[in-house]
Amino acid sequence: MAGASAADVRSILSLPNPSTPGPSQLRRTPSTAEKARKPDGISRELYSLIGPSAPTLATQLAKPRLKQKPNLGSSGRVKWEWKQFNNGARGDGLKLSHWVKAGTNPEADYPFAKYNVQPMSYVFSHDEYTRLLEDKDWSKDETEYLFQLVKDYDSRWYIVHDRYDWEDGPERSMEDLKDRYYSVCRKLVRSRPWAGDDASRNQLIASLTFDKEREVTRKKYIASLESRTPRQKAEEDALYIELKRLEQNERQFKRDRDELLRTLLGIESGLPDLPVEEDGLISAPVDSKKKKKGHMSATAEPETPVSSTSNVPNVISLGQPQTKKSQSANSARYDATHCIHRTDVPATTSTTTKAAHAPVYLRSYKLPQPRAPSAAKVAQVLGELGISHTRLVMPTRENCAQLENLLEAATALVETKKVVDKVEQDIRIMKTRLGEQESGGGEEEAETGDTVPTPMDVDDNNDAEGEVNGRAQSVVSTRSTRSRRQSRRSVSISSVDTSGAVKRQKRG
Amino acid sequence: MVNYGGDEVSALVLDIGTSSLRAGYAGDDTPKAIIPTSYGYIDIPQQQQSAEGGGDGDVTMAEGDAATNGEAAPMPEQSSQKKVKLFIGQNGPSMWREGMNVANPVQNGMITNFEPIPPLIDHALREVMRCEPSEHPILVTEPAWNTSANRERMAEIMFEEFHVPAFYISNTGVLNAFAAGKGSAYVIDIGSSTASVTPVIDGFVLRRGIVRLAHSALPQLMQAHARHLLIAQTSRRPGIELWSHQLIASRQPVDPGAPPKFELRQDRIAGTTESWKAWAEAREVEEWIQSVAGVLDQGWNEQAASARGARHYEFPTGYSNYSSAAERYSVGEQFFTHSPQLVASNPNLPKTIPALISGSLSACEPEIRQVLMGNVVLTGGGSLFAGFVDRLQTELSRNFPHAKIHAPGNPTERRYGAWLGGSILASLGTFHQLWISREEWEEHGKAIVGQRCK
Repeated sequence: MAGASAADVRSILSLPNPSTPGPSQLRRTPSTAEKARKPDGISRELYSLIGPSAPTLATQLAKPRLKQKPNLGSSGRVKWEWKQFNNGARGDGLKLSHWVKAGTNPEADYPFAKYNVQPMSYVFSHDEYTRLLEDKDWSKDETEYLFQLVKDYDSRWYIVHDRYDWEDGPERSMEDLKDRYYSVCRKLVRSRPWAGDDASRNQLIASLTFDKEREVTRKKYIASLESRTPRQKAEEDALYIELKRLEQNERQFKRDRDELLRTLLGIESGLPDLPVEEDGLISAPVDSKKKKKGHMSATAEPETPVSSTSNVPNVISLGQPQTKKSQSANSARYDATHCIHRTDVPATTSTTTKAAHAPVYLRSYKLPQPRAPSAAKVAQVLGELGISHTRLVMPTRENCAQLENLLEAATALVETKKVVDKVEQDIRIMKTRLGEQESGGGEEEAETGDTVPTPMDVDDNNDAEGEVNGRAQSVVSTRSTRSRRQSRRSVSISSVDTSGAVKRQKRG
Repeated sequence: MVNYGGDEVSALVLDIGTSSLRAGYAGDDTPKAIIPTSYGYIDIPQQQQSAEGGGDGDVTMAEGDAATNGEAAPMPEQSSQKKVKLFIGQNGPSMWREGMNVANPVQNGMITNFEPIPPLIDHALREVMRCEPSEHPILVTEPAWNTSANRERMAEIMFEEFHVPAFYISNTGVLNAFAAGKGSAYVIDIGSSTASVTPVIDGFVLRRGIVRLAHSALPQLMQAHARHLLIAQTSRRPGIELWSHQLIASRQPVDPGAPPKFELRQDRIAGTTESWKAWAEAREVEEWIQSVAGVLDQGWNEQAASARGARHYEFPTGYSNYSSAAERYSVGEQFFTHSPQLVASNPNLPKTIPALISGSLSACEPEIRQVLMGNVVLTGGGSLFAGFVDRLQTELSRNFPHAKIHAPGNPTERRYGAWLGGSILASLGTFHQLWISREEWEEHGKAIVGQRCK
């Protein structure tokens, strides 16, 4: 019937009949996918009519699945009985009672009896004692007393020592007791026939070793730690802080040196340009304070950290070290034929630290960037020339060098122009001022000084801002490099806008 | 059952302290029966004794007092044939009776007079808890400085008089550590009459740590100090009369500081014994201490104390006044420091808490001192004294910067810590092998107590 109605729908909607005959398809589909995927809450007829594209509402008609109710009471309630039990861990016949489920075997072992573990205890015979265990400090009776105590208190030595009370003997320290006990045990294990293999025997003997001298020294050390005076403690703390500060200084110094290397040598330094914070141990305020201190020490007396620590990796050497001069001619030729350029890795930096590590990089990542203050201008100049300085089609070594030269030239040009503009502007201002003074009005002077429209004004907008904000910029520069970078980006964005304006002006 | 290690055999736990006797079922979190350890007694005149003849409890129980009282049993005093009538329980010492004396069998945490102990236990178990001790194994507590004669006597009472099937006696220090969930702890227990420190390692008391008198009657000194403060006349006020409400017929409200207007019950004054009066006055002082006194958290400092301000308190006579801050905080100071004059005048002064701690710690191995100080358990009703925990923390951190104090915020846990620990211990499945059974008691005699309860 369902099949017939489906065919009706098809004919109403003037859909083409399926190529395969109806019955075979009908026989196939419900047996496999559709029947399996029929959601609850839809009748079979409806589902075969609308197929799997059931509206979502229909699935919500399904009976909500609730958490299954706990089955209480119906499956027979548990009966508990107050029953006597026998504790296997006891030596006598004390019968205590407790609640157990009815039907529990009354003869079963008490479940807690298994926790009554008796520790391994050693016993020696009189013969063994006279043969092996004689000791001028210890009598046999006292040794037996010691062994009894150790057994009674399960080798809890603090308790054994606490309860040790042998009238005739001398005052024994805990180390004396342990030493005697373990030495006797070792001798017993060694002298007796051993059932297992040698390894397990040696292991057992090793577990019974006791180094009395070491323990005594350790105890003394603990005692001396406790008997420190407050002054000594304060001094220790101060020394510790001093040590931390020195380490901090050293790290700061190294970071500064890396930065210096990067600034002086640029790409040739081989240092990654992102300064990596080595550790998050020092909190920010302390860090900044330390940084200042580090700066001061680095600038004032850069030798101090080096001389104080005299670590080889910390020796300052700004020039490239002459390390790989001993390359054989063979390898040089090989390099030449395969276009391999070997850059000298600065050996001054210890390769273990993250900051100093120069990872492998593509040369295109290291394209020279124009210097910060005139970056926008330089970019503009290059843009007018139709050169993209951020992307080289073939960033070979030579090309990079060329680009750098070009950038330098462009920077120099921009700088020069700026200076020229400034001087011209000054001259103009002076001239106007001179003219005003000659004509008279003192209060006009200031106004005109500000509002004189010059053709250069638009072009110089950014630079003027830079000049005005000179102080603000210097403040900014003391912040982290990241923020500086961001500010640079924002400047470049604004310069793009104005440069567009400039072009329009020029065209117009 | 095995999962949490508990297996309850309906054992009883009995904890006898100076101020109260606690009893209850093991596995509970609070004792079912809490009765004062102090008891009242009246000597029975000779002629009445003969009239009673061989009469035991029942005869005297028929009297009016006894019926309301819950427990009254004539008992022979040790050697003399003089008989006394006991008044035990919540209505025991606190009710005024003509000629009734009040006594306490516990001194410094240790039972010194075993005569009234069986009636006390009997009252707690049979009258309050309504259970039959011969059906339940019983765990009793003892202070760390208890003598072996004392614990054997306790075992004897339990086996011979109460016919318990099994008995065990355990140390309050260890039980307090267990109540705090610790095997190793440094237990500072401030009771109503005794302050003590007990080093516990692996569930055993370090006896070396308590051998040099690690308990002192510090709370008693504090109470005496407070009493002296109240009854002494000062420039600001006359001495305060500490009549308890049982002896006051009527009173009229007066302004703070004004002399009280009250009338005593003259009919009762004559029949009041000295011991009852002392007991009642001590209770008034205790009330005052609990509502007014405190201790400064950073050591004695006149300015800091005066910054806390005065507090109003009214006595049963109707007299009321503002207790000055210096007065209030000097009381708590007795726990921690003694003034030089006091030391000079009294050579046998109880040791202060810092002195107790340093004395017992110096006897311990240096290795475990840090462990102990990291697990300080503060317990006992006296430790609920206002500001005590903070002050103790200050005192400890002076010498042990890593000292950590475990002090339950729940007052019930603090007051009945030893009972709670006993309740935990006696409901453990693994503990049931340690009971001294009646069979063992009959076979080995008293020696088994010392062997089993280490």
